[in-house]
Amino acid sequence: MVVRKRSYTIAAVVAFAATLAAAAPTPAQADEPLPQRTTGLVVKDGQLLISVGLGDLFGPAERQRLTSGFSTRVLIRVALQEASGDDVVSLAVQRAEIVYDIWDEKFSVRVTRGLGAELRAIVQTADESIWRATALWQLPIADARRMRPNVRYVVMARGDLNPISEDLMADVRRWLVQPAHGQRKLGAGDSFFGSFVSIFVNPRIEDSERQVRFQSQQFLLPPTPPAPLPAPPRPPPTPGRPGAAGRAGKATP
Amino acid sequence: MAAARAPAFLIALSLFAALRTSPAARAADEADDVASTATSAAPFQDARFGPRYVIDEVIVRGNHKTQKSIIVAEVAALGLFPGAAVDASDPRVETARYRLLTLGYFLDVRLSVTRGVSRGGVVLIVDVEERGTVVINELFPSTSAATAFWGGADVSETNLLGRGINLGAGFVASTTPVVPGAQSGLGLRLRAVVPPIGGPYGLSLSATVLYNNGSEFQRVMGAADDADPRNFIGAPVQRAGGVLGVGKDFRSGLHATLHVREEVISAELPIVAPPPVVDFMVYDGFSRLGSVTAGLDVDTRSDPILPRSGVRMALTVEAATGLLGSSYDFFKAVAEGSFYRPMPHGHALGFHVFAGAIAGDAPFFDRFFVGDLNLLLPRRALGINFSTQPSRNLLDTSIAHHRYDNYAGRVLIEYAIPIWRRRGFVYGGDAFVAAGLFGMASNGDAVAPGPFSWHSLPIDVTGDLGLRLDTYVGIFTISIANALSRSSF
Repeated sequence: MVVRKRSYTIAAVVAFAATLAAAAPTPAQADEPLPQRTTGLVVKDGQLLISVGLGDLFGPAERQRLTSGFSTRVLIRVALQEASGDDVVSLAVQRAEIVYDIWDEKFSVRVTRGLGAELRAIVQTADESIWRATALWQLPIADARRMRPNVRYVVMARGDLNPISEDLMADVRRWLVQPAHGQRKLGAGDSFFGSFVSIFVNPRIEDSERQVRFQSQQFLLPPTPPAPLPAPPRPPPTPGRPGAAGRAGKATP
Repeated sequence: MAAARAPAFLIALSLFAALRTSPAARAADEADDVASTATSAAPFQDARFGPRYVIDEVIVRGNHKTQKSIIVAEVAALGLFPGAAVDASDPRVETARYRLLTLGYFLDVRLSVTRGVSRGGVVLIVDVEERGTVVINELFPSTSAATAFWGGADVSETNLLGRGINLGAGFVASTTPVVPGAQSGLGLRLRAVVPPIGGPYGLSLSATVLYNNGSEFQRVMGAADDADPRNFIGAPVQRAGGVLGVGKDFRSGLHATLHVREEVISAELPIVAPPPVVDFMVYDGFSRLGSVTAGLDVDTRSDPILPRSGVRMALTVEAATGLLGSSYDFFKAVAEGSFYRPMPHGHALGFHVFAGAIAGDAPFFDRFFVGDLNLLLPRRALGINFSTQPSRNLLDTSIAHHRYDNYAGRVLIEYAIPIWRRRGFVYGGDAFVAAGLFGMASNGDAVAPGPFSWHSLPIDVTGDLGLRLDTYVGIFTISIANALSRSSF
């Protein structure tokens, strides 16, 4: 009887171990590399500046929703780190907000970088508002004098559309399991580990509505001089408004 | 006994070590954390941006099944109703969207405005995309030496008739246990919860109907740690009744409940010959149980599935009395608490406490059961026990003598390591290890015969080790305790 009990226990644990091994993400999955996006890099006044666009943060549906009358927020975070290491050398943040005025039929955009001044603009088209909100144009990311020579660096970037605050996310997570309307299970113990599976379909709730992540090409700084910057990007042309292409709108510092 | 389990824990520990976060993933997480901190330090100087509107009317679109009043009430609870002012960048708009999404009725929700009757006035439009609202709450497939198989499910329709009514049903059925005199088990539950009256912070009503037809196993011979089903005798017990309840959510996060339970119990207690002293903890023939239960629950956890910080505390007190027609007079109090503390690298430390006491004469199904306390044993399914397994007795104590008791306590410490955070099918996953102590006792156990020895204490070690996954289709826990408790021999 004892031998039989032991064999059952070992069999159960081996089965469990096999399940665990199958369920666990493989190292390849965990280390899935970010896509690479060519990024403009230049040193100016001792600052490393980057230029890259994240216009793909807006798909057709997101673009259409810009005219909802409520604000659309964009958060872009970039981090500089050594290509061979894990440590973040420095980081920078750009936030933007777009609001469509349903009476004037114009888009208001405001952009701020880190603790810098707020830039506001009123533009005519959705495309132009997206460009203003998602383009990183010569964004200072690091003090170049603090970067080590002959070390390869890489810039990691992440853009979030309508990111959710931590407080709201905490509320959302609570509502998900303890939903409104008092729909708690009656008589069910709140077993901490007990439930093997509780199946429901989560609604589309993540920490932002849409996300873009990528990394730049690796680069040295100095002595390798950075690639020359391309010409400054221009706002996309305004459909149906010949000659409006590149109009920067009314900007105030 | 302990030697037999050593390989099991070695295997599990080695797997646990292999599942630690890779350096690259850790670096990415750290970068996100740092960037997140920087973000919160650099908000817009003026939170308000864009025009201010006055809501003329609220229109709901896309609700083919869900009643408009449910949606309008949720939005109105956040102050978005006709006559109210709202900014274009008002955070209540986003909160309303997520509040509606978490009802579970919709795949997507969007809020927008169109021009109202005059400049500044708007029509607030709530566009919803409905989804299927049947959910599986729990599955019960298990096996033990006493019962070859028991299984079942708990399923809910969360938006019955589009009125937000939650109608749930659960069942569990078993093969005939090999315990002499035992019958196959069947447990049924039917429950309904009506949305709060007058909005999300009103009173919600609930009702549950229950039927159990099973056999409780009582030892008549053999050593206390011998789980051989032939050492037990089955006492067929039927229960039928219901629970009526009222609940209320408060804005502070507090949830309060009050339930009244009435049951009829029919037991056919076997005659044991030669007669050992067997307490079946239920009256022979017909009896009744009537009780009232009050509960308080407060939850500030950062995440109910994979928490990193916060507290969850719950307190319930139940009184069964002849005033409610009960044949059983008892008072039961249960307090539970979980406390989480963030640790470096996104890890989390959890501290869980449970304490319960019963004074009086409670039937066995209302007493504290060892399987509900020890994670390594099968717990009751819809209130029915299908196992004769005693506690594992890893400390060589008197715990094997204890199955149903009036006092119970448990302390658990848990350490969780995030191994998976990303978009896709699996939102997140934690590897976790937990260990703790639990104890059970009844009146009279406090005075042990002979000199004191800790071996006489009715305590044991419990714990778990595994993965907890938050996925698109639900929450999965894959762990040693799950494996052992569902195949208990």
